[in-house]
Amino acid sequence: MTAWYDSNIILIQSTFVGLLTALSLQVPIRFGVFSFAGVGCYGIGAYTTAIIVIRLGWPAPLAMGAGMLLAAVTGYLLALVLSRLGGLYLGMATIAFDLIVTVVVANGGELTGGPSGLFGAISDVGTVHVALTSLVVVVLLALSERGRFGRRVEAVREDPELAAAMGVEVRHYRQLAFVISALLGACAGGFNVLLRTTIAPTDIGFSLVTLALTMIIVGGSRSWAGAFIGAVIFTWLPSVLEFSGQWQKVIYGVIVALAAIWVPGGLLGVITDAYRSWQRSRRAGGSSDVGPGDGDRGTVSPRAEGTPA
Amino acid sequence: MLQDLINALSLGSIYLLFALGMSLVWGTIGILNFAHGAIFMFAAFASYVIVEQVRLPMLALIVIGALVGAALSVAVQVLAFQPILQRAKDLRSGEMQILIGGIGVAAIPLAVAEEETGSNPFGFSASSYATKTYALLGFRITNTQILVVAAALLIAVAVIAWLRMSRSGLALRSLGVDPETASLMGVNRRVLGLGSMAVAGALAGFAGVMLTYHLGAITPDSGDTLLIKAFAAVILGGVGSMAGVVVGSYVLALAETIVLTQTSGLWVDAVSFGVIFAVLLFKSEGLFGRKEVRRT
Repeated sequence: MTAWYDSNIILIQSTFVGLLTALSLQVPIRFGVFSFAGVGCYGIGAYTTAIIVIRLGWPAPLAMGAGMLLAAVTGYLLALVLSRLGGLYLGMATIAFDLIVTVVVANGGELTGGPSGLFGAISDVGTVHVALTSLVVVVLLALSERGRFGRRVEAVREDPELAAAMGVEVRHYRQLAFVISALLGACAGGFNVLLRTTIAPTDIGFSLVTLALTMIIVGGSRSWAGAFIGAVIFTWLPSVLEFSGQWQKVIYGVIVALAAIWVPGGLLGVITDAYRSWQRSRRAGGSSDVGPGDGDRGTVSPRAEGTPA
Repeated sequence: MLQDLINALSLGSIYLLFALGMSLVWGTIGILNFAHGAIFMFAAFASYVIVEQVRLPMLALIVIGALVGAALSVAVQVLAFQPILQRAKDLRSGEMQILIGGIGVAAIPLAVAEEETGSNPFGFSASSYATKTYALLGFRITNTQILVVAAALLIAVAVIAWLRMSRSGLALRSLGVDPETASLMGVNRRVLGLGSMAVAGALAGFAGVMLTYHLGAITPDSGDTLLIKAFAAVILGGVGSMAGVVVGSYVLALAETIVLTQTSGLWVDAVSFGVIFAVLLFKSEGLFGRKEVRRT
């Protein structure tokens, strides 16, 4: 066990960083906000942490805190500025924001190390820290998927007009999505730079958006568990696919395309559906009120029943 | 100064050829095709593979590029976007899935081309076409540049005239305004969707071959960069407006040329991202677009 752990420590750490990054894109989608700003905030968090650790020599938690604070403020400002946009337009504006971050850090000269980036952000942050942080984040997010808050988030996503009519402040929830996304993104970026000790503009560009999105799409976009499944798969897949050699990227593309087209709920959706129909068929064995194939397939999320709060 | 203007003009023409198809599809059948850049690149790549085997003139390569582009574009529509739209429960979630599906599909041709070329630039050095440079009044212009500019303007005028004057153009525009009503009026969404995707793909393929001739060689990942720039041009001109795309492409190219010549460093890419951001913020319907009304 320890031998396995030691030889795969990089992949284990990457899984947690990948999970946090994927969550930073997933949380806004769960709120019905199509924002990719989490990746830009990953860049902000990573660079702020690296600059503070290297130049000022602050302890790692303080540096990461500063990065997350800066990212959260940026996220909030973005939410204010982009509040009028929706759908595709918001998606593209936030992708533009991500790419602007990469251009800015590539032109940052001394401060950001320009195109070659920063080196030597050394700290005592290890696997335990990133694992514990991920655990706390996952517990908090799992709680946010339940109860009154969870139902409100679902209402804001599925039907904003209805949610507003029921007295839910849709605007505040959307701003909250931006801030949570920024915090998660900056946290992932901070951890990544402290674990790997380097950061460069090429680490935070469009490819990171694609990777995080891939994790959510294949894993499932409705719950933290989907992001976790996706993070595990896409961190470990490259080492599993080594036998396929150079065609690895093609297989990657095929998997993502198939998942995006045919399995919109992701693997998590498939698993939940299978579990539900199994339960239903068991129940149908006792009392035959609901048949196993009553047409309720697909990946529709569980809707809140009864009257909203 | 005049030299910069000529460079901006030919750069803008490449943007225009690329963005025209993207805007056509987005403004009419409402699909923002993220695989457009990959189609563009793969058409040029297919022409490259063929020209390495057989020495062909430019016209043949253009035809091959356009055909490959159109075929890929139709394939993406049939295999990816139509199934997504059939299964999506409403337009908004459909839009999102099309964006994501496009990104996923785009990874396949990119991976194939990168695998074959080892991510190195590829060009048409085996083609029988030779670049000539003319010196006129102190500035230089190549025959490729003249061809690119002329082709882009001609095709743009042709597409605009087709949309404005022909019956099928009217039908296509009606889809952009209200797909439901248009269908009730007897507009065949499926056929028109495939047709406009084919035209867009052919334009992308054409642009790919021309850019490769213009620059000498391109890398497999050049489609991604162009995608963002074309998006900026479309947004700037206004979604759904073809004249807007023409203006947007040339304005963007001019702005980039100015930034490139006046500043040091790598700020050029920031122009397109900044344009996207600024236009969406201050005038989200673009210069020539219709105002879209959205609640909440």
